[in-house]
Amino acid sequence: MSSKIKSQKDFNAGLMFIAFGAVFAFVARNYPMGTAVRMGPAYFPTILGWLLMGLGLIVFLQSFATKDEPPKSMDARAVWWILGSVLAFALLVGPLEAGLVPASVVIVMMSAYGGREFRWRDAITSAVILSVACVAIFYYGLGLPFRLFPWS
Amino acid sequence: MELFNNLLLGFQVALSFQNLLYCFLGCFLGTLIGVLPGIGPVATIAMLLPITFNLPPTPALIMLAGIYYGASYGGSTTAILVNLPGESSSVVTCIDGYQMGRQGRAGPALAIAALGSFFAGCVGTVLIALFGPPLAELAFEFGAAEYFSMMVLGLVSAVVLAHGSLIKAIAMIILGLLFGLVGTDVNSGIARYSFGISELSDGIGFVSVAMGMFGFAEIISNLEAKQADRDQAKISEVKTLMPTWHDIKVSIGPIMRGTAIGTIFGILPGSHTVIAAFSSYTLEKKLSKTPERFGKGAIEGVAGPESANNAAAQTCFIPLLTLGIPTGAVMALMVGAMTIQGIAPGPQVMTQKPDLFWGMIASMWLGNAMLVVLNLPLIGIWVQFLKIPYRLLFPGICLFIAIGAYSVNNSPMEIYMAALFGLFGYWAVKWGCEPAPLLLGFVLGPLMEENLRRAMLISRGDPSVFVTRPISAGMLVVTALLLLVIIAPQVRRKREEVLVEEGP
Repeated sequence: MSSKIKSQKDFNAGLMFIAFGAVFAFVARNYPMGTAVRMGPAYFPTILGWLLMGLGLIVFLQSFATKDEPPKSMDARAVWWILGSVLAFALLVGPLEAGLVPASVVIVMMSAYGGREFRWRDAITSAVILSVACVAIFYYGLGLPFRLFPWS
Repeated sequence: MELFNNLLLGFQVALSFQNLLYCFLGCFLGTLIGVLPGIGPVATIAMLLPITFNLPPTPALIMLAGIYYGASYGGSTTAILVNLPGESSSVVTCIDGYQMGRQGRAGPALAIAALGSFFAGCVGTVLIALFGPPLAELAFEFGAAEYFSMMVLGLVSAVVLAHGSLIKAIAMIILGLLFGLVGTDVNSGIARYSFGISELSDGIGFVSVAMGMFGFAEIISNLEAKQADRDQAKISEVKTLMPTWHDIKVSIGPIMRGTAIGTIFGILPGSHTVIAAFSSYTLEKKLSKTPERFGKGAIEGVAGPESANNAAAQTCFIPLLTLGIPTGAVMALMVGAMTIQGIAPGPQVMTQKPDLFWGMIASMWLGNAMLVVLNLPLIGIWVQFLKIPYRLLFPGICLFIAIGAYSVNNSPMEIYMAALFGLFGYWAVKWGCEPAPLLLGFVLGPLMEENLRRAMLISRGDPSVFVTRPISAGMLVVTALLLLVIIAPQVRRKREEVLVEEGP
């Protein structure tokens, strides 16, 4: 399979565009189309959705014609730990109501782990300094409404 | 003279304590992120958008603008001292600037860069003041059809001049338009693409998209790229800042020409500062009687591009402040900032809020003055910042983005969306799709639909209205020409050349 595809980048991108275009165009069928004079909510998205599918198809076909370097392989550690740290922060300040300080410490430590040069001492020091700085800037300085700790 | 009165008003506004403070803050932050590689003006402005909610519009926009043109000053510092571009347009300055540094001439390089930037910044500000009002006058003649065609032209020209695959860039624009349409349709009250999630019926948060694609995605990509250990890069010593008379004489031409180039590319849609800097370098090399010196420490290779990128950073505000259309990613963010403040961008900003318009112009001039002071005498401070390793910086950036996203609605939903767009942005870039066009489309989506609807309503369903009305037709013709020109093989080869020079 990979021998026929000359550009994996274009192959993936093309499929992505076709998929998005299709979703937008087909979900739009639930909304009224209206007429050219009085365009309904489905009009513009449908046009755009089909356009996107068309462009996606061109890109997809191009992937068999033009050679391109393969995409860099995914750095899974960076992806999982960075995004994981963000989700953890969201959960901690959101539904879990743990407060800004624990959330800050967690996101700094977890995201730092996503980097290849992780060192425990640096991560802990940064976490402390950044948490203090954020509380100072955002809670006291800008007055943003945050719970600081689970018990406050 | 009316111009005089307007400028007087502008300076009165700009010299207020609050506006001066935020101008300084913007310039300082701009220089800082310009100096630090791995974080650029787009991510920073996106991060600070939620903070601007609590500010009145004038200081908010002054600060955000200061971050942008400040970054083009700061980027030259890292380029010259460490051969690392702190900001995209300073890639060019690395070429000759770093060589000058290795020859012990880092000081003069920095000085000429700052002074050239200051000259260009002043000229740019004057141009906005001169040409702003006539342009806005012109824009008042625009009807819905003209606005629609103008947005089409703006979107297409933004990608035509940028690098990368044209088709994928246009596809990203359309995807951005579609994402922008998520939410409640104003005309019918129907919630589109909300899938039952109530937060989505208000639309996807602009801040989430911007922070996700330009913040998180960039951090992950930076970590992935195997960066050579920066601690090993030698930081050139700065001995004396004074350039020689010869330096100054030789730089005058490049500074003038760079300013002119930067002005033109600033007004045109695209990645203003980057293209301006590259074009200036190419021009200076072609015009020079001794082109072999370029790449080995020719000061013209610093003077020209640095002036160009700063001129572009100023004049790129013109289409935004007069016509109301964003011509690049940063301008899209400014549109977002204005919308958040309840200001609809367009020619009416000048007449309805003259204090905002003229205040911004005056403060840009003041900002340029502040930046010369920040960049030259205080160079020692920035050198210290350069020594902070990236592994200490990026977790802090993640934290700031997360807090910023949360503070939009006091809801974790924005953080989830930012993470989602971060993941999407990361893969999109991996597959050769540029994120900036998506942001442009996202900002313009609802506006384009509204103008399309109105144009069709007024013309009673006649689509030829876009080509029968002269201004609208003109814009669409230019759009078509641009597309054709780009597809033409000779231009394609030229674009490849620029691509190759632009590097990674």
